[in-house]
Formats: sequence, C-alpha cells, structure tokens
Amino acid sequence: MDSGAPARFEAVVLPHLDAAYTLARYLTRNPQDAEDVVQDACLRALKYFEGFRGEEEGSARAWLLTIVRNTAHTWRTRHRPAALAVEFEETQHSDAVAEDNPEGVLREKSAKETLGRALDRLAPEFREVIVLRELQGLSYKEISDVAGVPVGTVMSRLSRARARLQDALREEEVC
Amino acid sequence: MTHPSFEAQVDAYLDGELATGDVRELETHLAQCPECTRFRDGRLALRAAIVAGVPTFQAPAALRERIREAARGAAPSARAPRRFTARNVWRPLALAASLAVVALGSWTLALQRAAGEALADDVLASHIRSLMPGHLTDVLSSDQHTVKPWFNGRLDFSPPVYDFAGRGYPLLGGRIDYVGGRPVAALVYGRRQHVINVFVWPATRGPGGGPSIRTRQGYHELHWTTADYTYWVVSDLGLAELQDFAQLPRQA
Repeated sequence: MDSGAPARFEAVVLPHLDAAYTLARYLTRNPQDAEDVVQDACLRALKYFEGFRGEEEGSARAWLLTIVRNTAHTWRTRHRPAALAVEFEETQHSDAVAEDNPEGVLREKSAKETLGRALDRLAPEFREVIVLRELQGLSYKEISDVAGVPVGTVMSRLSRARARLQDALREEEVC
Repeated sequence: MTHPSFEAQVDAYLDGELATGDVRELETHLAQCPECTRFRDGRLALRAAIVAGVPTFQAPAALRERIREAARGAAPSARAPRRFTARNVWRPLALAASLAVVALGSWTLALQRAAGEALADDVLASHIRSLMPGHLTDVLSSDQHTVKPWFNGRLDFSPPVYDFAGRGYPLLGGRIDYVGGRPVAALVYGRRQHVINVFVWPATRGPGGGPSIRTRQGYHELHWTTADYTYWVVSDLGLAELQDFAQLPRQA
C-alpha cells in the first residue's frame, strides 16, 4: 500500500462506518457480533482497497456495504449451520421466520418493539433489503449490487418484506 | 394497464425509482382508485413506523479507532484479524482496559452523541414536515436580498443567505423552523425535483471538521459547524451531489 493510502482509506471508507455497523447489527442481531463482522469486513476492505477505483462517495458506501454483507453471511454460515440445511428459497421464505424465534415469547405493547421484532424475524435476504433501502436509502441498483441479485429480485423482496412488516403492525393493533 | 400492475408500481413510485412517464400514469390512477390509494397509504404508514421504530446505529468509538489503527499500521504492525472464536477471551480484557482508561471520556461522548442523534431526528422531522403542501416556505423568493431581511425581527440572528442558482442550486425561499428547542432559519434550495433544506443557527461550540453524514429513510443529512454557525443540510438528493452542494455555503 502506498503511503497516501491510509489517509485515503480513512477519508473514503470511515465516513460509512455507521452505515456498515447498522447493516451488521441487523444482519447479526447482536452488537458484539456486529462489531466483529464490521472489523473483519474493514480489514478485508483495507486489503482490497487499492483495487477500489470508485471516485464518488456513494460507490464507496455500496462497496463497503457489499463487503459487510458478505462477511455477515459468511459469519452466519459458521454460526448457524443448521439454518442453512434448508436452502433459501424465494417464495417459500417470503414470510418465513428466521431461525430462532419463539413467537410471542414477549408481548411488548409498543409498535416500535413490534416492528423491530418483525424485522428480526424476517429471513436475512428480506431483512437486508429493508435495511439498505429504508435505513440507508440505497437505490435499487445499489441494493442489487450489494446483495448480488437482479433489480427485479430486489423489488419483489422489498415488496414481500414490506407486506410482512405491515402484517406485523396490523396484528399489534388487533391485540 | 391492468390494476395489479399499478399496485406493483407503488413501491417503485414511493422509492423514487419509477420512470417519469409511469409516474404520471400512476398518479392519475391513484387519483381515481381507492384500493391503490389504500395500498399506498399503508406503505406510507409503514414508512413512518420505520422512522419512529427502527433505529440506525453508530459504530462504537473503539471499533472506529481499531480500524483507523489498522489502516495506519498497514502491513506488519496491523492487529491480526480477530477470529470470531477468540472473542470470548479477548473481550473481557479489552473491556476492562477500555473501561479503566476512557470511562469518563466515553460517558460524556455518549451523552453528546445521544444529543446529536436526537437533534438529527429533529432536523429530519422538520425536513419531512416542510415537504407537506404549504409548509415549505414562509418567504417565497429566489432573491437573497429579499430572503435575508425577511428574517430580521423574526430571529435573534441574521442567517447567511446566498443564492446558488449559478451553481445549479437555486434559492427557493426561507422559513422559520423550530429545532433542538430553539427557532432556527431554514433556507430552501432546489435541485431538479429535489428539495434541500438548510438549517442554520448560531454555533455554541467551536468549529468542527468536515461534514458528518447520516442517512435515514432515504434522506441524507450533512452536519458541520463553522466558527459562527451550526449547519444541517437535509435532502433526498444523491449523497455525492449533496456533498457538492454543502461545499457552497462554506466557500461563500
């Protein structure tokens, strides 16, 4: 790495560390694991940084988020091998719950907690499009790059994930 | 076009991803179709619930520092990547050390950060409110010499007002807003169909560095402080363009 690279890495990548950490938090659902994932992802980013030629901010963000996303998915295969016994399948898992979720163990009343829990229960493939779109404001094209799926798939996942979250909110109103 | 295909387009429409021609067609359809309107309203309600209930997070300061060290230390002195399995051994030690050293500092930092987050939420809420019909401007003028004096007597400071039409960001007007428990100047700029709100009030702390970036709900917020003023810039404009815009008041 040339001598200007650390400064350039800091200027280009570090502004997006909060975005990276937020994505990792939702993918791992745990602060410590999120820290590990982000640190590991940043070390990888550092390693490949010289290969990164993106000039504008937006592309640096999508680039970092792609690495975080892939690191988190690797992390998941290591830590939850059982969950992978069933291959992810688009339609079947659209409203499927994530691995470990004893439904209705806690019955908090606020919509805030309901929505947070509903999000946690979504399959990771659906959770990540919600986080990338709703919290980070990525375009469909950027999400397609980060998640490695076509734009049409991004759209159908977003639509199903939103429907699922709306159901959760409605259920809360009924309670 | 058949009805279900409109419903499928509503998400793309609300996400700002629908082509202009389709937008017009969809809006016409929405005006006369209660079912699609209900669908859209459901999505808007979900969006509001996400803003209120699904937080973004700030990376822990220690993590940021470790990554910075790794970048600077580059090859040999870089900390070896922490293996996930090593965590349980490593964490209590690191925790104890960091607690001992930075307890007081991080406490005040955390307090400041929480306050900063609340302020950022406040600014975003003001921005979204301003986009509702009739809320954008109190003084509608592209003339900085009309907008600046308008604030006289309405605020206890005279905000810096410039028109950046020459740079592609025309001044649309201004209004008084209420952010962080005080009245502030809100300057409104346009860029194509996007609206940019610039919130300005006198700085209480010294000047900071470059803008900090926060993205929430598809909106970007840039924040910085000069010797005189605190600035918050909010828009759904692309981040690169918004950063380009944020240079302008600093050069003016």
